[in-house]
Amino acid sequence: MEASRHIHIAELSRRTVNPLIFWGIITVVLTVVLILIINAAGIQSGIYLLFLVPVIAYLVIMGFFVGYVSKLNRERNRLLAEQVREEGARAGEFKKLNQELETYAKQLFDKDFELTLANKRLQNLEQAKSKFVSVTTHQLRTPLSAVKWTFHMLLQGSLGPTTPDQHNFIEKGYESTQRMIAIINDLLNVDYMEADRSDYNFLPVDLLPLIESILFEFTNQAESKKITLKFDKPSSVLPPVAADPIKLSMVLENLLDNAIKYTPQGGQVTVSMSDDRMNSARSNLEVVISDSGIGIPPAERDKIFPRFFRGSNAIKVQTDGTGLGLFISQDIIEKHGGAIWFESAVGKGTQFHFSIPVHRLSK
Amino acid sequence: MEKDSSQKTILIVEDDEFLRSLTAKRLEKENYHIEVAVDGENAISTVEGIKPDLILLDLLLPGKDGFEVLKKIRSTEVTKGIPVIIFSNLGQKEDIEKAKALGVDDFLIKANFTLDDVVGKIKKLIADK
Repeated sequence: MEASRHIHIAELSRRTVNPLIFWGIITVVLTVVLILIINAAGIQSGIYLLFLVPVIAYLVIMGFFVGYVSKLNRERNRLLAEQVREEGARAGEFKKLNQELETYAKQLFDKDFELTLANKRLQNLEQAKSKFVSVTTHQLRTPLSAVKWTFHMLLQGSLGPTTPDQHNFIEKGYESTQRMIAIINDLLNVDYMEADRSDYNFLPVDLLPLIESILFEFTNQAESKKITLKFDKPSSVLPPVAADPIKLSMVLENLLDNAIKYTPQGGQVTVSMSDDRMNSARSNLEVVISDSGIGIPPAERDKIFPRFFRGSNAIKVQTDGTGLGLFISQDIIEKHGGAIWFESAVGKGTQFHFSIPVHRLSK
Repeated sequence: MEKDSSQKTILIVEDDEFLRSLTAKRLEKENYHIEVAVDGENAISTVEGIKPDLILLDLLLPGKDGFEVLKKIRSTEVTKGIPVIIFSNLGQKEDIEKAKALGVDDFLIKANFTLDDVVGKIKKLIADK
């Protein structure tokens, strides 16, 4: 449309007769007519000139004026035409851009649709995987329980006497079963964690009774290794933390289990908690689990949190362990907005610390 | 086996035959009288019939599951005081929380305990009763 208007104006200016020529012709024609009238009237040449000269002068001056106006006019037409042409070009560009935008929008929409579908498929797959892991691991525990109990009853002599040699082999069988069960339990926990099956349910949690109840669970395990399990209770009342009690229990259980597992007979495991609100901008409570165990070799200190890592000295003293406990614990603490770290001296012991933000309402 | 009057009765609800017989064998050694049930319906009718001194209850059972059995036991006047130990290979925290809410006395994951541990827990619960 812009292009056709452009042509229209150009033609119009071409068809218009040059006003200067037009005016020239009128001047000549009027002069001739005037001469003819004067001749026909038989007027004398002196008067004749008196009429003719001002008329011609007037016509010539008007001619120049008209010419000037016409030139301005043409200039204006030219500028107008140029503007129209430019606008036409710009409109063309705009149209092109608009088309491109439409194409991109369509592509974006298609991609979005594809991604949504892919995401849905992934979610389904993730659910299927999760269900598979959960079902198989639970199912695996049933036959393993049967094996474990049988070995245990054989070791206890409840199923008749065994020779020392047989006893030895049965013991190995029992230990292997124990290890397999530990692996399955850790796998279940990792799956539980990664599947994010239940979102974190943050509640105000009082750490003191939580730690006490978990310590109670570990009494037997500690007693069987003659390890002293101690809780250094804080001297003042501490505010509740914002935590998912189930997840936080898992961390405490993992850290205590490690502490007891890697502390030799007769050692000591101590849990303490403190308030670091005085020296930190963020309000956190800190829990420390220290043991008098084998320690973590310096060379392995930056590797202990990734999954499946087990300390070289840990493997020597303890066979059941998957290297998933600290990985799980770190994940849980980080999801709480806290931090986990440790100090360790080989042969002397390890201190694991973690901090958890205080519940908002209690600050 | 005939029950003598001094014996305490334990009901084992377990669908896996081998696990059931191992558990029964171990508990008989402790001089308990053992009754068994192999599914949920069977468990509920046995509990109401014999009123055992303690119930060892699996969760994954054919038909009615262990949670439903526990709910029924706790909502029936004559059986609601009987100690119940869940003895299962399910054991995610949600399962444990659910069982606690229904009023279970203890929750043991089979693979994580030996039958000796179970005997210890049973003795304690029956003594406390």
